[in-house]
Parts: sequence; structure tokens; C-alpha cells
Amino acid sequence: MPPSQANYAPSLDKLIKSLKSQPYEASIEALIFLLKRRQVKGDDCAVATAHILLQVVARSKWHDVDQLLGRVQSVGSRLARAAPHEPVIGNIVRRVLGLIRDEATEDRNNADDLGSDSASDIQSLAPTNPPPQRPAPTPVLMRSNTAAPGGLQVSKSMFNILSAATNADTPMTGASTPLSQAQPASVHALRTEVINGIEEIMDEIQQADDQIASFADIQIHPGEYVLAYQPTKTVERFLIKAATRRRFTVFIASIDPIEPGNGEKPYAALRKKLNSHGVTTINLASNGLMAYIPRVNKVIFGAKVIYQNGGLLVDSGACIAAQAAREFLKPVIVLGAIYKFCPEDPSDEAVIGELGNPSSFVSYADGPEVEALDIENTVTDYIPPSLVEVYITNLGPQTRHHLASILADHYKVEDIGYSLHDGEV
Amino acid sequence: MLRRIPLPPFSFHTFCRLIYQHIMATDEETKPVSTDLPVHPKPQNEEFDIVATYRSLLSSDREITMPIAAIESLIDFLSITPYVTSMELVEKVKHQKALLLASAPNPLPILAGADLFEQFLLRSLRPPPAASSSSNLTEPMSFDQTREHLVANKQLFAQRAQAARDNIAIWGARYVSDEKIVLTAGGSRTVTKILLRAATDQSKHFKVIYILEQGDSRSQAAVDELRQAGLEVETIVPNKVAYVLANQKKINLVLVGTEAIMQNGGIISGMGTAQLAALAKAVPGGMKRFYVAAETHKIVRKTPIAYPIVSKMGVRQRDITRFENIGVDLDNELVKQPLLEESDEVDYTDPELIDGIITEQGVKMTWQIWELVDDYI
Repeated sequence: MPPSQANYAPSLDKLIKSLKSQPYEASIEALIFLLKRRQVKGDDCAVATAHILLQVVARSKWHDVDQLLGRVQSVGSRLARAAPHEPVIGNIVRRVLGLIRDEATEDRNNADDLGSDSASDIQSLAPTNPPPQRPAPTPVLMRSNTAAPGGLQVSKSMFNILSAATNADTPMTGASTPLSQAQPASVHALRTEVINGIEEIMDEIQQADDQIASFADIQIHPGEYVLAYQPTKTVERFLIKAATRRRFTVFIASIDPIEPGNGEKPYAALRKKLNSHGVTTINLASNGLMAYIPRVNKVIFGAKVIYQNGGLLVDSGACIAAQAAREFLKPVIVLGAIYKFCPEDPSDEAVIGELGNPSSFVSYADGPEVEALDIENTVTDYIPPSLVEVYITNLGPQTRHHLASILADHYKVEDIGYSLHDGEV
Repeated sequence: MLRRIPLPPFSFHTFCRLIYQHIMATDEETKPVSTDLPVHPKPQNEEFDIVATYRSLLSSDREITMPIAAIESLIDFLSITPYVTSMELVEKVKHQKALLLASAPNPLPILAGADLFEQFLLRSLRPPPAASSSSNLTEPMSFDQTREHLVANKQLFAQRAQAARDNIAIWGARYVSDEKIVLTAGGSRTVTKILLRAATDQSKHFKVIYILEQGDSRSQAAVDELRQAGLEVETIVPNKVAYVLANQKKINLVLVGTEAIMQNGGIISGMGTAQLAALAKAVPGGMKRFYVAAETHKIVRKTPIAYPIVSKMGVRQRDITRFENIGVDLDNELVKQPLLEESDEVDYTDPELIDGIITEQGVKMTWQIWELVDDYI
């Protein structure tokens, strides 16, 4: 499935095209190379990770679920370590792991029950790792909603401590019983199922922006003034969709200094499209942004990553806009697809922000300046959860207090516990 | 009132118990254990004293938490109670629970355990859910089964509580970062476990600053344990907290244990916790995260709303709304009841100040606590 956006870095396109023709190990190396040089970043990381994992599932040799999980984990942690600033990679890997577990459980239930003497698969796969949080023992006394086969759900019950003894003794209740005795046919079926699942994830990534945009006319009302800080592709699509239904005014704030040679104003394409729908656009320099906040009705960002506490990573400078909005009691709306929700807390590094190339601010030709000044250019900002009003996901608008259930729906507790950055296999 | 003739299943358990006690007793004779308190009161001869059982459980095992001790003493009560109707038994359990609560100036940890126990017992009285699945494992136990299960597995629950703490250590150790400093206080065993666990990770070199008041033996024991494990631990007096937070830029994590987690995600914990949490947020000088490590069985099904919060929650400690030197009515009933020792006094930390609660089921945000409770009503 080729990605639809035309403005992908060409090298990623090339990589995706060459996936079939070269050994998958070479594709992994190629992607790691691209990630390290930051030629693949942002949303593309998610697409690229899904493509590579698809190859791993389809073409690597594995005979049971444990092997497959191990493969995916090891490839996943290699990718994640190549780009520690892109938690989205980890999210996709966790999604795929969860998918495999689901399919394996289904499989196992179809086959004869092989008995539940299975050791924990993760523990055997990653011996250097501390054993990840075992899922809470299936609470036997729970009502039927936790009676799902395999009991992989995150148990929310406090009764675990008192529940019946039988299940509590096996460390990983029902977690992907190894299919070592499974027939080749079932391995084949599993492969097909998992490949289909990964393709669904890729579809989801592709459609996320459109789905988010479909909530646009609920959020933006006629006659409003909307501030979009450095609109990402998601935000652009959201605004354009709203423009087809509503008349409003957009302030586009950007930090990029307008290059003197190139007379074009930033976001010219977006402005043109919005104008064609009759929406007025006004460009702001980000340092003049405060003056306009009292006039603005709402502020919109696209998130790079949304953490479990509700904090998010955004392009640098956005935090100023969010804080200004908070001072003037203007709602801050964050757009982020489900696959950007990361089941972790932000690391210290993420909160401090990432430093980028400062050469656009000081020319290397200007010797004295380069000598005398220390220039830091942060490229990401962390916005604390308290500044955000609502998160618009492809499944609809959410508040911070419901992020936990979204995470519980999409990730398995074993995979949350598995730390991709430390995981060396 | 105890009936004289116990029915067969329980006479068997009682028999096992007695054998077990006998073995334990011979084992312990060698140790200089004070035998004043009846470790396991014998049902036949004496009235069962739940408060004494609870206290002896707590003093016999340093690792046991108060909610677990409460649960275990209620199980002891179950095991000696002759067979009666289920409703009568529930009434009796409620009575024992009330006795236990009344005995402690700070009933919250006991309440957490006893409530959990009671709800577990009551759950089995409910009719089975209509759409129950075919699997045998998920069949709810009947009341009698529940009771037998509880009595038979008393040891297991304590082990699980231990395992929960180990799990917390695994989750919590991730929050300790390399080349940083952890600020902690209160001598929590859970926090000590987290730090020890983090210390086993070769890639992390961190230091600990322990807030230690003169004569606080719990904290001193924790400091000694950490130092023995080779960690660099610095101790400071409580007065220094704001100064250290502001000037030691390497502190990135403030980690505390707690006695009770309230339903809204706030915690009621040793005096000074609220100060520490507020300072961690308020003092400029780098980002500090405030995390609480606690097992889910410490959650109390109460929401604090009215002031003074700690007293309204039922904790009997010196009432700060009174000034005792200007003529207070000392005949007041509250004053007569035993108050908490000053060193054991507790305060309430608002959920706004807490970045997360590290439980054995993962790291929960404060607003997720009600979800855990929700399931158990």
C-alpha cells in the first residue's frame, strides 16, 4: 500500500517501493539509517514502522507465536533506539504485538487446549529485561465482562489480591500460550491474520487525518477567529474541511523567518485553499502572537505525541501559544490520531525539549556572531496536560480523563511494560 | 456468641490451624518473642479479640501492611466463626470491622482492607450474572465457597501483597533516571524497594536525598537499608526541603509512599507529605515530578470534600481548629478518645499536586483511581 501523500521524503518512498525486492533485513537497516539522519520523521515514522513490521511478519522465519513476538520486539526496539525522539514507532510496535497476541489467543481457543503450563513468553524472550508487569491475574470472581478468553484485558479490579488461587499461580494468564506443537497450517493462518491486521493499522494511519477532519465543523463555528500555530498536515486538513462548511478567520502563526530571496509567505498553499473557500487568513509572526490572543476564540495544534498523562509534544513555540491561551481563558484544541497516544509518561528529555540546528538564526558567514553567541534552537515543546481543553482523535473528541481507557483499548498491558528503549534481544 | 458444635468443613480447618499453630509455636520458642499477645486466640476457650489479633499480626511481621493485617484478622475471625446463615455472618463481620476501626486513631488503612474484604464477601451473595460465559473458571463462587477460599488461602494473600510490591518496584524503577537525584521521605517500604530495584540497573547511577527528622526510626531504617545496598544517600532535615529543591537542580523525582489513597486520587499520608508535594510544584529550579508508590489495596472508598479534611475522614489527631490553651471543653467526647501520636499524624495531599500513582497494575493518573474503585462496589 503506497502512502498517499506526495511530499514524503523521496528516500522513504524509494524504501517502500524497494521493500519487496530486497531482503527485509536490508530494509530494516535502510530505515534505521533514514531515521538516524532524520530523513524520516513525524507521521512518516508510523507508516514506515508498519511497513517494516509487515515485512518481518511476512518474510522472516518463525514457527510459533513466541518467536514471532521476539522478532517483532527485537526489530521494534532497534527502530525505537534509532529514533528515541519518535515515540510513535514504539506505539506501532506495541499495536502489532497486541495484534499478534490477540490472534494467537483466538487461534489457541480454536485449537485444543494445550494446557496452561506455559511460562511467560516475554520473560523467556528478554531475559536481560526485568520481567514486565504481569497482567493482573484474571479475577475469577469478576463479572462476565472480564471473562474474555485469555484474560488479557487490563484488570481494573482491586479484588486481585483476594481472588481465587487457581489462576493467580500462573504468571501470565492466558498470554499467548506457545503454539510450539501447532500445525504449520495454523502458523500460516496466523501469518495471514497478522498481515491483515497490520494492513488495517496502515489504513488507520492513512485515514486518521480525514477522520479527524470530519469533526471540524462541530468544533469551529461561523464567525470565529481560530489560531493555528504552525499547522501540521492534520491541522491543515481540519481547517480546509471546516472551511467548506463555515465562514471563519484563521490566524496562522509561524516561527519560520521569511527567507528574503524566496518571496513566498509561509503556508501559501494552505492560505490559497482556505481563501478559495472564502475563509480569511492572516499570517502572524509567532512573537506577535500574544497581541492577537484576546481576539481569538480557540487555538488549534497538531500533536506529535500524546502521553498517558495528557501532556503532548508539539513543534517548538506552541507552548507559548498554549500558555497565552490559558491566560485569556481560550480553549486549546489538540488534534492527534489514536496511534499517537503513547502509553508512557514523558521522559525528562522530552519535557526539556529537543535541540535542533540553529543555523537558520545565525549565518555561519557571520564569524563574530558565531564566536560570541551560544544559540539554542529547540525544535519540540512539551505542553503540560493542564493547558489542553480537548483532544480530537480519529475516534472523536476526548478529554484528558478518558485517555486511559483509550490506551487500555489499544495496547496490551504486557507491551506497555515492555520498554522498547532498553529492550536488547 | 459461639456455638459449641462446628460443622465438618470448618472443624477440619480449625484442626489444621491448631496443628499449624502448634508447629509455629515450637519454632518460635527459640526466639525471644514476647508471648503476651495471643497470636491466634483459640476459639474454644476465649472470646475472639480482633484488635489483639490485628496488632499481633502487625508486630509479628514488619513487611505486612495495615490493610493486609486487617484482612488477615478478619479471615481469622471467619475461620473460628461457626457456620451460621450468610446474612448473620455478614453482620458479624461488620461488627468486627467496626471494632477494629474504633481501635485505631487512624482507621483509614484498616478501612481500606476491611472494605475490600467485606465487598468481596458480599459479592458472592449476588445472583450470578445472566450472561455468564461457559467457561468453568469464570463461574462466580458461591458464598460458602468464597468463605472456604478465604479461610484456606490466608497465607496466599500476604504473598500476593508482597508480589504487588515487587511489581511496583518494576514499574517505579523506570522513573529513576541516570545521573539524577531522588528526593524521598517517610520510610516507605515500597519506595525503598523501588530504589533498590533501580540500583540493580547497571546503566543507572543515581543518588538519593532522604528527608529525615531526628528520631524517626522508620526513615532511619530505610536510609540504612539503602546505604547498605551501596546507594549514595544524603539526609536532610525537613526545614531544608525548599532550599534543597531550589538549589539541587539534579532532583527530578520526588517519590513517597502513603498510608491511604482516597477515591479522588488524593493521598492521606505521613505529616509533611503535603508540604513536600506543594514545594515540589512551587519551588522554581527545574522540573520535579511528584509520584506516589502504593498498592491498590490501600485505596479507601471515600472522597474528601469538607475541611478539616483529615478529621472529617475519621482520623483522630489533634484538632488544629482548636487552641487548647484558651479553654476548650475537655469533656468533649472526641478529646477522650485516644489521639494519634504526633509522630504518626497525617495530612492530605491534593490530587492536583500528584503526577501519578505507581500501583502494581501500572502507573495510574490520579483521576483513574475512581475507575479502580468503581469496579468493586
